[in-house]
Amino acid sequence: MTIAITTYLIYLAISIALTVWVARTLHKNGRVFLVDVFHGNEALADSVNHLLVVGFYLINFGYVSLALKLGYAVDDAQKGIEALSVKVGMVLIVLGAMHFFNLFIFSRMRRRKSVHSNQPPIGPDAFTTVQEA
Amino acid sequence: MQALTVLYDQECGLCRRAHNWLAEQSKLVELNFVPCASEDARKRYPQLNHDLTKKDLTVVSDNGAVYFGPKAWLMVLWALTQYRDWAYRLATPELLPTTKKVVSVISQNRYQLGRVAGLSR
Repeated sequence: MTIAITTYLIYLAISIALTVWVARTLHKNGRVFLVDVFHGNEALADSVNHLLVVGFYLINFGYVSLALKLGYAVDDAQKGIEALSVKVGMVLIVLGAMHFFNLFIFSRMRRRKSVHSNQPPIGPDAFTTVQEA
Repeated sequence: MQALTVLYDQECGLCRRAHNWLAEQSKLVELNFVPCASEDARKRYPQLNHDLTKKDLTVVSDNGAVYFGPKAWLMVLWALTQYRDWAYRLATPELLPTTKKVVSVISQNRYQLGRVAGLSR
């Protein structure tokens, strides 16, 4: 097995493990948010949660796959480790961005729900008596 | 707050058009429409200054809170399912001055606007 192939395999192993770990974290901890957003409707929350995680996997694995190719020769172990660190670093940054994007979606959903409070947006100018007809 | 009474100007085409549009919208708070300064309005709110309600849109809640002018517009918006978010947005300290200005201009020129839009008085 050449050094390049070894680098690719380690890259894939690390990227897949990281993606799975982040997705599971999102899945586990995002559920509470979603249950709250959907007024305790757990079935709907679980469904949306699952769909979000599927999208997360698709985008991340897509990126990992596209970014696999090195484009230059890896002659020794030092070059291999350097190439690996660049590739894994990119995957980490993409994962981080995706993670914050997901958090942004969760918080937006929550805000949308809280907006439907019964508090009027402004105070009245005056009060008057109401004569019921 | 369960219901809002909207005292609107029946003489103006734009207001009648707005009334028809509002009637079709899905609401979070019930909206009742009463022509301003009418017999019905005077009976319902004996203490209200009805000459003032002819000048600008007035909304009265079921517990007697009176909203006049731009505030009345915001309350109507707030009553609508699809526009409640907008009512909060337009009422933020950053946007409220602009909201008030725009609403006043529309209100003061409602007859002209109605004519331009081809709505009869």
